[in-house]
Amino acid sequence: MPEQTDPIFSGAQDPRFWRDGAISTTAVMLIVLALLTIDSLDVIAAGGANVPAYTVINQEIGYEFDSDKSMWMPTIGEEQLLFGQKYDAAGAEAMMDKAKLVIQSRNCINCHTFFGNGAYYGPDLTKAWLDPVWEKMWIPMTQSKTREEAMVKFLMHPDRYPTWARQMPNLGINEEEARAVTAYQKWMSSVHTNGFPAGFGNRQEQR
Amino acid sequence: MYKSQQLALKYFAASLFVFGLLVVAGLLAAIYYVKFGFLLGVLDFSVAKMLHINALIISLLMGFLGAIYWFLPDELGQETVGIALAHLLFYVLCLAVGIVVVVYIFVQYGGSDQFAMWFINQGRKYVEAPRWASIGIFVVLCTLAYNIAATALRARKITGVIGVLIAAMVPLTLVYLFAFPAITNMSVDLYWWWWLVHMWVEATWEIIIGCILALSLMKLLDTPRRIVEIWLYLEVGLVLGTGILGLGHHYFWIGTPAYWLSIGGVFSALEPLPLLGMVVHAIYDAGKHQMKTTNKPAFYWLLAEAFGNFIGAGVWGFMMTLPQINLFSHGTQWTVSHGHFAFYGAYVTGILAVVYIAVQNWRQIGEVTGNAWKWAFAFLNLGMIGMVGGLLISGMAQSFYERALGGSTLEAFMAGQSNPWFMQGMYARLGFGIMFAVGFVILVYDLGRMVRKGRALPPRNVAA
Amino acid sequence: MSPQEFLSTAILLGVFVACAGCYGLLYTLARLRLSHVLMSMAYGAYLLQGVATVILLTQTSLAVVWKLLLVASFLIYAGIPPVTWRHLERTHQPVGHQS
Repeated sequence: MPEQTDPIFSGAQDPRFWRDGAISTTAVMLIVLALLTIDSLDVIAAGGANVPAYTVINQEIGYEFDSDKSMWMPTIGEEQLLFGQKYDAAGAEAMMDKAKLVIQSRNCINCHTFFGNGAYYGPDLTKAWLDPVWEKMWIPMTQSKTREEAMVKFLMHPDRYPTWARQMPNLGINEEEARAVTAYQKWMSSVHTNGFPAGFGNRQEQR
Repeated sequence: MYKSQQLALKYFAASLFVFGLLVVAGLLAAIYYVKFGFLLGVLDFSVAKMLHINALIISLLMGFLGAIYWFLPDELGQETVGIALAHLLFYVLCLAVGIVVVVYIFVQYGGSDQFAMWFINQGRKYVEAPRWASIGIFVVLCTLAYNIAATALRARKITGVIGVLIAAMVPLTLVYLFAFPAITNMSVDLYWWWWLVHMWVEATWEIIIGCILALSLMKLLDTPRRIVEIWLYLEVGLVLGTGILGLGHHYFWIGTPAYWLSIGGVFSALEPLPLLGMVVHAIYDAGKHQMKTTNKPAFYWLLAEAFGNFIGAGVWGFMMTLPQINLFSHGTQWTVSHGHFAFYGAYVTGILAVVYIAVQNWRQIGEVTGNAWKWAFAFLNLGMIGMVGGLLISGMAQSFYERALGGSTLEAFMAGQSNPWFMQGMYARLGFGIMFAVGFVILVYDLGRMVRKGRALPPRNVAA
Repeated sequence: MSPQEFLSTAILLGVFVACAGCYGLLYTLARLRLSHVLMSMAYGAYLLQGVATVILLTQTSLAVVWKLLLVASFLIYAGIPPVTWRHLERTHQPVGHQS
């Protein structure tokens, strides 16, 4: 048997051979991960290539299919103020900080998903800001003039607007908190998520 | 019996108790899907779900701690150093878990301030525990690392398995630090959160359970150390070789660059390959030993581990891991199906095997007999297969109607959730969940029977 | 990828790995029991995996890179049971120098 003289095969009898293999594989992978992490953190920082700065809430946001990249991409358009206000960088960031604490303290992620991560009892919130259902159902039902007004009213009193058997409980969200979460939703819908969720709000265009 | 092993038995008992809590919370969570308005405003779905997944983490951690404290003194031939501190921390941990559960159930939510993060609930999946309790978990993990390292130093001996275990303690404790921050940017938050969740579940824990199973095999089948160590190193190399960059499959859709689609896809497609090797290995061992062992339950749970891991992580994972598929299946009940199968196959089965080995040794039972363990084995496994089957059907219906066809809006979500296929899957999940619960009760009964049966191993009087 | 195609592709990918599992299981049992029948069943399972691969290659719109990955892993799967078996036999043989 030629294998018997093969140094690799006789070395394979020795645990140290495998130990060294495991250590070097792990080391290589960790180095690659570290390098990719440095690059990724740059891309996903607010204001990075994929994640717009928080002041994006002053602009109109859309979601369209990009045939060059063959994926759905967020679009950032003309000025479209939120709550009729223009937020500066500090004001927008303060609102986002608040919103994230609301999202964590009210345990949103244990019913909903953000970018598809979380729990699956409620709908995914990645592009919730862009959901046609606001214009179609919630604005008339909450007797609001705008999408953000309807969103605030719903977040503060979800129990008043039961539209479906599975209902959101009242989590004691006050107006300031509801406005912050609304802004957060608008910002989140502007994040480039490699096309997830596909075809949001456009059931006709299938790819 | 070493003091370390007495502590191990306490951890096993606590782990099983918390697992019971997991089963109850899981059954509750299943009811919300089939009975609309269930406990709304009293104990919302989010609370039941949080209890369910937190119980999973704590139960498995307690199982790992138990297994390590059980095998460590035998492996190093000396009492675990710092065992008194570890004992104290066991009670602290139990008390902390109790307080956290009470707060989850009766307080539920806080305001949007740091107080809620410190004392009520951090609202980050799997690591919801308020910061004060998270510090407690961190201290427990650090103490475990100290116990292992100090004992090895005192014994002036490092075996291969203990070396791997000590190395695994570093990432185990370090990545847990990502349980604390509340980063505003959701993309960055999820980026680090996955470091914790993935590096625990798909890397560090795999190594720890690998060490535990290696120690079990030496006990259960008298497998020579050299063989066990070769396979452990091989497993570590393969798990970390595919698992570290397998992290990429969580970075498809959170705002991270597109290269993660390729990296995540390739490395997670490689993940089933070593699992097939494990299946071959398990059958080989079973065949060579002709199933001759004095502890059949432990042996069968080890076999269940190899198959469960392959099917749960391998088959179920590969179905949904390529980005083109994952675009539609991500974040649906399909994920739930995969999660249940993989956690159960990779960890629950392994810990149950160790519990049987420990109880047999502790009560000095020559051969584990009786039929109850067979019923428990059948009910737990069939219950789990039925649950993940139901969830898979629901998940496929959801991916199809909500995601692929409907475009993921609220209306599409509602259409998917009320689809008959989806609902039937949910009823099946609840039914098989009850079956699983029955299996768990039989398992506890069987272990209780063993505990009453034999004679306890006498304590050893050795200086710690 | 159309909705129908998405579901069937996912199921085929599951079948692909499941066949590999059956092949590994049957191969090992065949070696243990020295059974030709089991061994032909094992190769049958691998053949089925090949059929799944061909369908995935020709009938689905998976990207080329994933198709290449499927072919590569299909070939690697062929070797895993025999290589693992050989390695198991070798490590279980007693050796002169214990390290």
